[in-house]
Amino acid sequence: MKKVLSILLVLVMAASLAACVTGKNGNSGNTVDNNSADNGGTANAPANTSEGGNTLTVWCWDPAFNIYAMQEAEKVYQKTNPDFKLNIIETPWEDVQTKITTAASSGDLSTLPDIFLMQDNAFQKNYINFPEVFTDLTDSGIDYDSFAQAKAAYSVIDGKNYGVPFDNGTGIDCLRTDILKQAGYTIDDFKDITWDRYIEIGKDVLAKTKMPLLSSQAGSPDLIMEMLQSCGQSLFKEDGSPNIVENQALTEAINVYTTMVKEGILVEVNDWDQYVGTFTNGTVAGTINGCWILASIQTAADQSGKWALTNVPSLKDISNATNYTNNGGSSWGISTNCKNVDLAVDFLSKTFAGSVEFYETILPSSGALATYLPAGKSEVYAQPSEFFGGQKVYADITEFAGKVPSNITGVYYYEARDAVGTAMTNVVSGADLESELKNAEDTVKFQMGQ
Amino acid sequence: MRKLKRFLNYFVLTAVSLLSVFPLYWMAVSATNKSVDVIAGRLIPGTYLLENWKGLLQAQNVGSALINSFRNSIMLTLAGLLICSIAGYGFEIYHDKGKDTVMSILLLAMMVPFVATLIPLFQMFSKIGLLNSTLGFILPTISTPFLIMLFRQSARSFPHDIIEAARIDGLSEFGIFLRIFIPTMRSTYAAAMTIVFMNAWNNYLWPKVIMLSNEKITMPMMVANLLTGYVIDYGMVMLGVLVCTVPTVVIFSLLQKSFAEGITGAVK
Repeated sequence: MKKVLSILLVLVMAASLAACVTGKNGNSGNTVDNNSADNGGTANAPANTSEGGNTLTVWCWDPAFNIYAMQEAEKVYQKTNPDFKLNIIETPWEDVQTKITTAASSGDLSTLPDIFLMQDNAFQKNYINFPEVFTDLTDSGIDYDSFAQAKAAYSVIDGKNYGVPFDNGTGIDCLRTDILKQAGYTIDDFKDITWDRYIEIGKDVLAKTKMPLLSSQAGSPDLIMEMLQSCGQSLFKEDGSPNIVENQALTEAINVYTTMVKEGILVEVNDWDQYVGTFTNGTVAGTINGCWILASIQTAADQSGKWALTNVPSLKDISNATNYTNNGGSSWGISTNCKNVDLAVDFLSKTFAGSVEFYETILPSSGALATYLPAGKSEVYAQPSEFFGGQKVYADITEFAGKVPSNITGVYYYEARDAVGTAMTNVVSGADLESELKNAEDTVKFQMGQ
Repeated sequence: MRKLKRFLNYFVLTAVSLLSVFPLYWMAVSATNKSVDVIAGRLIPGTYLLENWKGLLQAQNVGSALINSFRNSIMLTLAGLLICSIAGYGFEIYHDKGKDTVMSILLLAMMVPFVATLIPLFQMFSKIGLLNSTLGFILPTISTPFLIMLFRQSARSFPHDIIEAARIDGLSEFGIFLRIFIPTMRSTYAAAMTIVFMNAWNNYLWPKVIMLSNEKITMPMMVANLLTGYVIDYGMVMLGVLVCTVPTVVIFSLLQKSFAEGITGAVK
């Protein structure tokens, strides 16, 4: 009996493992079936989230930011189309991903909304895994030339556009001017500099004020990825193969990071809350991140007027190195379950991709910055920010956004990022850089099944 | 020497209890503090509870999430207890070799993780139109091998003589189950109820996949919604978590004694 039981147990485990594997491989092969299942399935699917008519369903997260922006876009569009309505379903990003994966893997797309928000770093991965989910917007009439090119590139696959850019993640270097002053520097000393110069100033500021310039979450390779993108590089080559061991920019970026930790210019903390705490509590003199970090910085009302921002440092001796980068951000996609693609396209092109007035409305109350370049020239964007000592931060950031080099994110972006994060942590603790990068590349290749 | 040993015992026990209670304490205290103070690690109660509460009500539909969570969890608990206890009772009281084999297969099903069945389940529920419904929430976990096993184990200690006596007195088989087994097994039911209710209340993945409108969200989904912004209000999040935790804590404390008895399989 025991033998029979153990054999059965092994069989069940093997079967569930096999089910997982075939499920994964079956996705791309199922494209046609999925579409036909979708067409046939929608007729008797009562929970269909795409409403048709003059109403569009939207999945997005963050009531203070994305949801608010969508509600304002609805108002703007209603001026020319009074019957238009949006049904916004609050869905955190992780859940958008889970729901899309579940719907696409089960071949039943009828539960998808008309419009969904997707993290830029996950856009290419999702398109490559589930192409049947995305509507091709290349010839839809949306003017992609009016967006920052690097931003629009996140949702371009094989030369075709599948998304409408929204949330801006342009890299900025925010600094406490009062602390810099104590050390004898101004914000201009940080403009258009290299990381070498940044470290040099950092040492001096640390010696004079005992304040590190930067903080970062231990194990999170955000800074490394930002440095890579500032050179138009990523962890992948054009053909999709990993570019880790022989990636000069990556080696240099990890060296810069390690030096900063060793010199005490960068203090590592354990989690995101502590990271935010370092600058809101005033234990560091600045931070480098995507421009959405402004919202967190400004929660420390007592530091109003003591901040300024500039572009990020560049990597020395690396070809195509710039002082502009990006971290995060998201774009809108239209699902193939959308019953009224024309309406969805028209809505997006007259709001997120065509209305300066819309961006002027959402900026002051939510800080939602555009990558829609015409908005950068508007008067609202040129308003000085009191918190940043009168600097025209929004106009500056939109200008930076137009100069960010684009890079390849690929299907295995998050896997490669994690592997490099591990390598970085080990190198900081004293491991050999070359062998760690080799391990990281092997890990990524293993996950890619190579 | 004995005193020292006792002191050491109490010392270790007190330290471990404090460690376990601390996160709960911090959660409760943080719910009364501003977000900035939570990040700064303030450990004493503040005066920001009302503001956090107002913020929470403004940001999320707490009432509807609470009602949904209660409705889903209570219905799943009632249905789950009835079905699993009938099954457990049947497996033990009408015992034969075939049923043993079926039970072994059921136990093997415990090895299959829920995520492995997520996609086929979703496909099925979408086809029969059960998405976005309480029934859709309940069905996948209405009967679990663990609970059937729990009831079977307890039924093992249930005296067969009583059943014989009841049969002679003319009580039907279902009557025996309903009027004798259920009242005798109160503590097992209490233990099972705690387990099912907590699992149902805390279930996140399945409702997230099948509940497609804002009106259907449950408490854990609401807490997840609070954590999505670029700026997270930790005071508000902690209050949300507190509201989400209270019902399970209350149920557990009320049934604590029976829970311990039920798990160890006592019949009085």
